[in-house]
Amino acid sequence: MGTEQIREVRLGRLERLPWRRIILIVLGATIAATVGIGAYRTVTLPEGQGYSADAWADFIILGVAQGSIYALIALGYTLVYGILRMINFAHGEVFMFGAFGSYFFAAAYEESGFLERQPVLALAIVFGSAIAISVLVAVLLERIAYRPLRGAPRLVPLITAIGASLFLQNTARGFFGARSRGYAKPGFLDGQWEVVGLGFPRVRVVVFLVALVSVILLTWFIAKTTTGRSMRAVAQDSEIASLMGINVDRVIVITFAVGGILAGIAGVLYAMTFEAVNFFMGFQPGIAAFTAAVLGGIGSVAGAALGGLTLGLLESLGPSLVLTGYQIPSPFQLKPAFTFLVLVLVLIFRPGGILGTGEAEKV
Amino acid sequence: MGPIPVRSVVRAGLVGGAVLAYLALVGLVERFAHLRLVGEPVTLGRILLVLPLFAAAFGVARPRVVAGERRVAGPRAGLVAGALTGATAAGGFAVAVILADRIDVARIRQVFIAVTPGLVEFVTFERGLVLGAAILVGLGLVAGALGGLARTGDRLVVGPAIAAVTTVIVMGLLQRIVPVAMIQLGFEPDFLYSPRTRSLTWGGATGLLVLAAGADALWRRSGPETRRRVRAAMVEQPAARAGILLIALAVLAVLPLLVGSVISQVLGSVMVFVLLGLGLNIVVGYAGLLDLGYIAFYAFGAYMMALLTGATLNTTTGSAAPAWSVDLNFYLAIWIVVILASGVGLMIGAPVLRLRGDYLAIVTLGLGEIVRVLAESRWLQPLVGGPQGMRGVTNAAIGSFGFRQPQRFYWLALAFVILALFVSWRLSSSRIGRAWNAMREDEQVADAMGISTTKYKLLAFAMGGAVGSLGGALFAVQIGSLTPASFQIIVSITALAVVILGGMGSIPGVVAGAAVLIGLPGLLREFEEFRLLIYGAVLVAIMILRPQGLIPSVRRMRELHEEEAEQDAWVKRFAGEAAAVAAGPGGALGVEDEDLT
Amino acid sequence: MRKRKLYQLLALFAVLSLVAAACGGEEEPVGDETGPTAPTGETAPAVDCEADPFGCVEVAAGEPIRLGSLLAISGDVAFLGTDSNNGILLAIDFLDGALDGTPGQLLGHDVELQQEDDGCSAEGGQAGATALVADPSIVAVIGTSCSSAALGVADTIMSDAGYLLFSPSNTNPGLTSEEAHQPFYARTAHNDRIQGAIAAEYAFNELGVTTAATINDESPYADGLAAAFRTNFEALGGTITAIEQVNSADTDLGPVLRSIAEGEPGMVYGPNFNPVCALTFVQGQDILPAGTVHMGADGCLESGFLETAAGAEGDYYASSPDVSAFQEGAFYKDEFLPAYQEQFGTEPTSVFHAHAFDAANVLFDAIEQVAADDGSGNLLIPRTALKDAVFATSGYEGLTGIITCTPLGDCATDVTIGVFQYPNWPVEGGEEPSDPVYTDTKSLEEVA
Repeated sequence: MGTEQIREVRLGRLERLPWRRIILIVLGATIAATVGIGAYRTVTLPEGQGYSADAWADFIILGVAQGSIYALIALGYTLVYGILRMINFAHGEVFMFGAFGSYFFAAAYEESGFLERQPVLALAIVFGSAIAISVLVAVLLERIAYRPLRGAPRLVPLITAIGASLFLQNTARGFFGARSRGYAKPGFLDGQWEVVGLGFPRVRVVVFLVALVSVILLTWFIAKTTTGRSMRAVAQDSEIASLMGINVDRVIVITFAVGGILAGIAGVLYAMTFEAVNFFMGFQPGIAAFTAAVLGGIGSVAGAALGGLTLGLLESLGPSLVLTGYQIPSPFQLKPAFTFLVLVLVLIFRPGGILGTGEAEKV
Repeated sequence: MGPIPVRSVVRAGLVGGAVLAYLALVGLVERFAHLRLVGEPVTLGRILLVLPLFAAAFGVARPRVVAGERRVAGPRAGLVAGALTGATAAGGFAVAVILADRIDVARIRQVFIAVTPGLVEFVTFERGLVLGAAILVGLGLVAGALGGLARTGDRLVVGPAIAAVTTVIVMGLLQRIVPVAMIQLGFEPDFLYSPRTRSLTWGGATGLLVLAAGADALWRRSGPETRRRVRAAMVEQPAARAGILLIALAVLAVLPLLVGSVISQVLGSVMVFVLLGLGLNIVVGYAGLLDLGYIAFYAFGAYMMALLTGATLNTTTGSAAPAWSVDLNFYLAIWIVVILASGVGLMIGAPVLRLRGDYLAIVTLGLGEIVRVLAESRWLQPLVGGPQGMRGVTNAAIGSFGFRQPQRFYWLALAFVILALFVSWRLSSSRIGRAWNAMREDEQVADAMGISTTKYKLLAFAMGGAVGSLGGALFAVQIGSLTPASFQIIVSITALAVVILGGMGSIPGVVAGAAVLIGLPGLLREFEEFRLLIYGAVLVAIMILRPQGLIPSVRRMRELHEEEAEQDAWVKRFAGEAAAVAAGPGGALGVEDEDLT
Repeated sequence: MRKRKLYQLLALFAVLSLVAAACGGEEEPVGDETGPTAPTGETAPAVDCEADPFGCVEVAAGEPIRLGSLLAISGDVAFLGTDSNNGILLAIDFLDGALDGTPGQLLGHDVELQQEDDGCSAEGGQAGATALVADPSIVAVIGTSCSSAALGVADTIMSDAGYLLFSPSNTNPGLTSEEAHQPFYARTAHNDRIQGAIAAEYAFNELGVTTAATINDESPYADGLAAAFRTNFEALGGTITAIEQVNSADTDLGPVLRSIAEGEPGMVYGPNFNPVCALTFVQGQDILPAGTVHMGADGCLESGFLETAAGAEGDYYASSPDVSAFQEGAFYKDEFLPAYQEQFGTEPTSVFHAHAFDAANVLFDAIEQVAADDGSGNLLIPRTALKDAVFATSGYEGLTGIITCTPLGDCATDVTIGVFQYPNWPVEGGEEPSDPVYTDTKSLEEVA
């Protein structure tokens, strides 16, 4: 610092203004205005150019369904983050392997008719295989790629995770080929349920229900069971937890396994909804789910669920509600741009996410 | 077996067998089953069969801590343990092969597409299941024994042996490049590479073995002394330093003339990624900000260069003029691009100032995706051409001397790379660089010390963006045509891999990283299908085994608590074949006995 | 002190740039880059290699004539490039008049194929083209597979060096447009303006659809074909209700299909690749109004679609070049396909092997026309003359139709496009009979 004289500095009027605050407010107002105007213009479009009420209902249903899948995957991210403070970038591939692995069972059962004859048993095996494979991949991942790096600077496990994601994706490509496979959907999930005049696609309703049940079960698991409490303890402070007699290694493996279970379930549901699996199917949902977890407030189960739903709705309503108003051509292609823009904005105003504390977390 | 427990042998054997099975299932073995490296019988596929066996044995023979004491296994123990490990691994794999045959290869192929009758034949050496299994186990014994010996044997014997084998394998892999280069330089390659099989001749291979072993042995004896003298000279006599730099420069400049247009083209691409790496190095390496969306600057630089130099949009009817464009000279446009890119960097940096590591990563990733989506969009099609893209980017001509041709582009890129290298180097030892170091190590403390993290973060993004967009602009000149397909997220990840592999914060590291990750796949086109798989594996391996990268910056090493100065590894790497960085257990990775836990 | 050095260097650089900028930036004239030097024959050859701007390829007696191929032989689109390579190899086999597995000879020389990978990208096209033009023994190149590898990249590099680039599967209209066409580029693949026109006519005239929406992914192929469809559909009097774009990696097409459903189009035209084609069809079942027809193009017409769409009900059509419709169908069905199956162990994975076969044969004919013996058993093939001979091809009867090359490089002037109805597709897993429900032959002049 040198030997400068320490002078008393009086801030000028310009420096006294809370610049950051002002910029944020202006930015926020502009965004709100843009979105609002866009939405308004969309809604007031003349007949034939805008969307009918039916369409809006459908958009919302589709968004909630998609969001449920994101929520299921996001739960895996948030669990691991809570304990290890790291983003398991390869979680999308855990999801993909579960879906792809179960595909072979599903295809075999469909071909042999087993799926029609004994749908419950067949589905149980299909889900079971997906869960088993996802858990296996997740646990292997932890053991091989992440455990050696505990305690390393933040950047290191993140990059490892990215590398693992690339590796797993291309492993699947090498194993199973680059072709997309068609995934069988059990007959009773075809079609829609009519409620109050709206059509709810059956498979998407099931997805939502399963996600809901999963969130509830997981919350109960973490709050009430011993293992769950151990997980919370390790999440809070792993050193003290180990001093208290908790086997930290085991808890971490269990965390990954639970994340794997959820990912496996999500994988089968995803495959049934969209009726296709391929080796790159984990990448985009992985990023979306991570975005959802961050959006909702990473580290909390409720945050992941909320973030997932929000993201799904954004992807569905964003282009249709806001972008249409500005007559932007092919608005749905800009869906990722819209989504990420929202993410950036949320993190500017609430760095901890929607359910976060509103303060920037340090370390 | 000395200090090596049986349990370890079994475990290592199973792991080795699993790795072998993995290589077969993922398609690597089949793909390279017939890629001949030496003569007829030595194919890459067979080497891939042997490698996991060797590696497992190599791992099992490592020193262990027994009752608080560090025990190094003797060569005999290493040999025995290694052989057993190799046999176990091969045996396990053989059992799997037999099972596969029992279950019916055709059915397995419905799941694992690489399991073909051809593959089964190959791994049983075309001698049927029983004999093939026996051969495998025998191979396991031998390869395992060698692996164990390699770990426990005398360094002065093992080192040259490994160097020799690695050299032969690498030269075999370069069978499409080296003969061409030799012809270009006026040599007859026939004594080294058989024109019929394209692989190394036996005589050539033997010669290489001897040469490499001899060179390595010599280096081991006198190496440390020479290294010390070179380093002393470099420190004491700036004239020596300048001299070495000039020689390096001269070699780099003359290189394209020596190696022909194909290799020059690869070198040009390496240069572009060196630029990308240098830019990302500023953001990630110096300032510690994990930017996963670096593609944004790359794309911005490319498209901006196109728009500033009068490129046209591709349309189904031919071409159209962009909604906005000017026709400037390259040498004027490049500076405008760089300045504008710094502005973009500020814009990207501003919202993410308060974000921490992981959040920053995902946000920057998102911003990169936004740029890609915008480039492909119909919305911006009148400006940047949408899926069809643009063409007619300038060739940076001076007078009538254009720079698109591979050798000439390399020179153009080299000029800018030298500039970027200089800027990076100056930055790292400047006050800005020191501020970044402080910020990276502990942001709160840096803040408390009065370093404005806001200012320096923004500066990092601005400068990183400027250099990155430089890379993008040159890419546009190199290809002349732009399509959004060239701007996918994999470019961001590759740039990150370049920086990580080379060593975060290390300038020679960036060059090394680019040479390995871009240069090697460019030269070895056969591996194109597995390039991303290898990238992923390399990233994970590097982070676990050697997080400071190939050529670490001294500061970073201290940060990562590395004990031994790996500068020695750097010099060693550049003494031998540049391409021998791959493969190689033990010595090549610089993992000396003392490093083990 | 240090700062000053930095500034000095930057200033020097800036000054140099200004000087460079001031020296003007004209594009260098074509042909002064790497090109083979013309050998001078002692005795006066029938061809004048000196006069040919790019000289001659000299094939010594006993040496093979070397052909290059620049196709997508690795990665996810490997099925496309490998298939075309196989077509070329069969053409080499056919040099002796029979598809018997033994390669024939051209003018007494064997024919060798140097295979390069176009990577289905601009970078790949550049790398492969650079490798090929660095080899002076390559007479001509058959490629590329993907339009993105050719447009502005491979076609320019090859034309600048005088190497003929003859594509069996580029369909992007821009490649043979007035503004973009490179002199040494030609193709036997159809121009997608034709496929788009035939698709539009089928939809409007045969199916009676008057409103349509298009979905394309981010590939230049899909974008170009969708645009061609729209132009022709509207010219016929139809209305386009929506133009949407998706990403080839997308799986959730729900919102975009719902948005399209609002406009109540009679048909959704999605000339993409799988899985997008299949997903549009399958997910559209629940979202689009009942009775909405779907249509795709050759990118959809493969077995992956059949797997993903299994069990879906509805009308799905796909257009594709129809090689069986041509009169040489007998040759194709009775000799070519069996030979393909026998030599390569699988059924064709794409349709462009036929175009590659034709391209190679046209090339061989052109070589026979322009090559000359220099008196000592060596063959001289002048590059520009070869190119001109190819472009002068007229009325050649190939597998894919009558081949007459236009000055802009479109050699598939009369293109037969067939429309196939799902699931009766001519691919593995498709149901018999796999004949098209509609075929039409058009030439470029007839389409918009």
